[in-house]
Amino acid sequence: MNHLLRFLIVLLPIVALIFFAKILLIDEEIQLSNYDLKDFPEVQLNDLNGNPVQSDSLKGIKVLNVWASWCITCLVEHPFLTKLSDQNIQIIGLNYKDSDLKANAWLKKHGNPYLFSIYDPRGDLAFELGVTGAPESYLIVNNQVLGHIQGEMDQRKWDTIFLPLIQKAKQGS
Amino acid sequence: MIGEISHFLSLSAVLLLSLVLIFNLFFSFSKIHPNQLILSMRLFNQACWLVFISFGMYVYLAISDDFSIAYIASHSNSQLPIFYKITSIWSAHEGSMFLWIVFLTAWSILFINSLDNNHPLKKFTLLMLSLIILGFLLFLLLTSNPFERILPFGALEGADINPVLQDPALAIHPPMLYLGYVGFVISFSFITAYLINGNFELQWEQDIKNWSLVAWIFLTIGIALGSWWAYYELGWGGYWFWDPVENVALMPWLAATAFMHSMFASSKSNVLKTWTMFLGILIFALSLFGAFIVRSGIIDSVHSFANDPERGLYLLGFSGLITLLALTIFAYRLPVLNSSKLVVTGSKESFLSMNNILMITSIFSIFLGVTYPLIIESINGEKVSIGPPYYNTIFAPLILIAAIFIMISVDALWQRSMPLRKLFITTATPIMLSLVSIYLIWWTTSVFSILAYIGVFSGLLILFSYLLRIINNLFNKKFINKGSAIAHTGLGLLFFAVSMNSILSYEKNLNLAPGQSISVDNSIQEFSFNDIRVFKASNHDVISAEVLLLQDDKEISLNPQKRKYATRGQITSESSIYTNFLKDTYLTVGDQLENNSWTFSLKINYFIKWIWFSAGLMVLGMLLTIFKKKAS
Repeated sequence: MNHLLRFLIVLLPIVALIFFAKILLIDEEIQLSNYDLKDFPEVQLNDLNGNPVQSDSLKGIKVLNVWASWCITCLVEHPFLTKLSDQNIQIIGLNYKDSDLKANAWLKKHGNPYLFSIYDPRGDLAFELGVTGAPESYLIVNNQVLGHIQGEMDQRKWDTIFLPLIQKAKQGS
Repeated sequence: MIGEISHFLSLSAVLLLSLVLIFNLFFSFSKIHPNQLILSMRLFNQACWLVFISFGMYVYLAISDDFSIAYIASHSNSQLPIFYKITSIWSAHEGSMFLWIVFLTAWSILFINSLDNNHPLKKFTLLMLSLIILGFLLFLLLTSNPFERILPFGALEGADINPVLQDPALAIHPPMLYLGYVGFVISFSFITAYLINGNFELQWEQDIKNWSLVAWIFLTIGIALGSWWAYYELGWGGYWFWDPVENVALMPWLAATAFMHSMFASSKSNVLKTWTMFLGILIFALSLFGAFIVRSGIIDSVHSFANDPERGLYLLGFSGLITLLALTIFAYRLPVLNSSKLVVTGSKESFLSMNNILMITSIFSIFLGVTYPLIIESINGEKVSIGPPYYNTIFAPLILIAAIFIMISVDALWQRSMPLRKLFITTATPIMLSLVSIYLIWWTTSVFSILAYIGVFSGLLILFSYLLRIINNLFNKKFINKGSAIAHTGLGLLFFAVSMNSILSYEKNLNLAPGQSISVDNSIQEFSFNDIRVFKASNHDVISAEVLLLQDDKEISLNPQKRKYATRGQITSESSIYTNFLKDTYLTVGDQLENNSWTFSLKINYFIKWIWFSAGLMVLGMLLTIFKKKAS
């Protein structure tokens, strides 16, 4: 009896430990697979310069980054996006619930890492995509949404979430 | 610059604490040198001071609006009053973890320096404390660094603290709670040291008793403040939601309560020693479990911080490591520990141990409630939620049994069995009085709910037992333990208030246009919606409704508001509350409908303020216990 008790006192926490570790790891897998093969919604918007967005602009491997001039965290992640664009990663901006004047001024002041920015003042496209706030980033391969990162993107999230997906997409094509 | 110095000091603390551990490990195989402990103590004290100074500088950074620090830029704002600039530090994960560690360090340095240098347990306690602080400092610096800069240019303005957190009760709720949680690191480390040391003749209870009582007080105040804030700020009119994060605060509280009770028993009559040790370890383990649940994002809740599996894994790994360390030593020593002394049936400690078992049962039930949705989700991917019905059904019978044991134990004696005849005499009066009261309540309210009545009955049993005892003390000068009497009266009142609240409270949803008035019921004869005003306050827009109530022949004016905060665009609801002795009249304003009328939610909450009053009584009782101990 006593032996069993001693055994249990140590064993039960270990079982709990393994269980929680497993859940944590499962959580991450779900995050990765959640956005499999969702088609990118149709865009009927202009970019920040007033030109209509072409539907073939989302071909190839693109990162769509939701940003706004009122968003502080966007400023926080801005250097990282600049770094990505310097590495020839193609980033498209989705200017979210903002005014084009402020947005263009913001880009002029801080630098523009985007190929172009879709101007979405009412948040229509953002709604279709399921954006909850800025910043958020989507990985889009040939008009399909493959991955999604909420909040500030950094090197770690890039390496663990988007980079494996990009490599997989490259192998597939 | 100051940010870098602050960061550097924290890193230096890591270095010093590692030195303490490495140094003692290195010399653990050679003969003990008298200066070994003195040197370790110096290193440890310096490490602690480095943490304090580092945090002090961080507070300065927050006050001086250094928005080049990413964490401060995303949680503070130059427009905030200084008070909220400081409290914004613990409004999210990184800063609150920092505060958590500062408190951990504070408790540790105070406790370890209170021990005499010749104390046989000092060395191992010091090592345990160093290990724990080191582990969490590394967690902070590696996975959740609050010092990170926005490079090359800082933000011009901060993103502001979440408006629902701009509230005094909420500003002090986390510090109180953390002080309670981490205060039990003392019992944890000391008991582990005792088990490692292996000399079981030592008396260890006295050294940590008051420390644990103080930690219990902080934990109680922290939980009560959180619930009070939820009641008046969130606008739902509830005070306890069985939210997973409330549950993980309740578990250490229950364990701590059980721990103190069995510590009283073991210091009075030398029984339950093993049990007390186990509980002492369990409290801190549950606190760590709570930190893991909140900070890993494993459960979605209003409290949880950002989801980051890396943090979760580190926390899980480290908390698991130190908990397993303590439990393994405990299991290893168990055969030697088992005290041959048995608890006398019918003695005070026998009832006390019964209630300890009930508290462990409650902890287990809550643990099951928290983890069951996770288990189900991991098996078949379904999302289930476990809510109040589960907890109410489980707790009603547990509370009843606990109340019966508390009632009996009021007149029981330490180490001696109570004669059956005496048992009947002392319990007959409270039972009769409670039954009569229940009948009266049923007769006046004509509401019937078996679970709620069980709660009322349990509360009354405890209340009447202690009231009789207090009367006995006043008139017959019979001995009474004042602290215990007040704390248990508080508990009885808590059961009573919670259950009466669920029996009597009700809610009405109303639609009115400005200028309209209606009669709601017998109590609220008239509800007049006089006007609605829109104006600007410092950092938010306000919609304020002016309502005049004629309640129980008395005029009450209420001003519920909705606020829209500029920086975050967040809308909050400010309820307006009128309190009298028995009930709160709680009004929130909702949305405007198309026909120009507004929705209102009117809640009549009975006995709700009594809930926090009873928590206050428990704290008061515990304070008396501490000061009585000091005096004697």
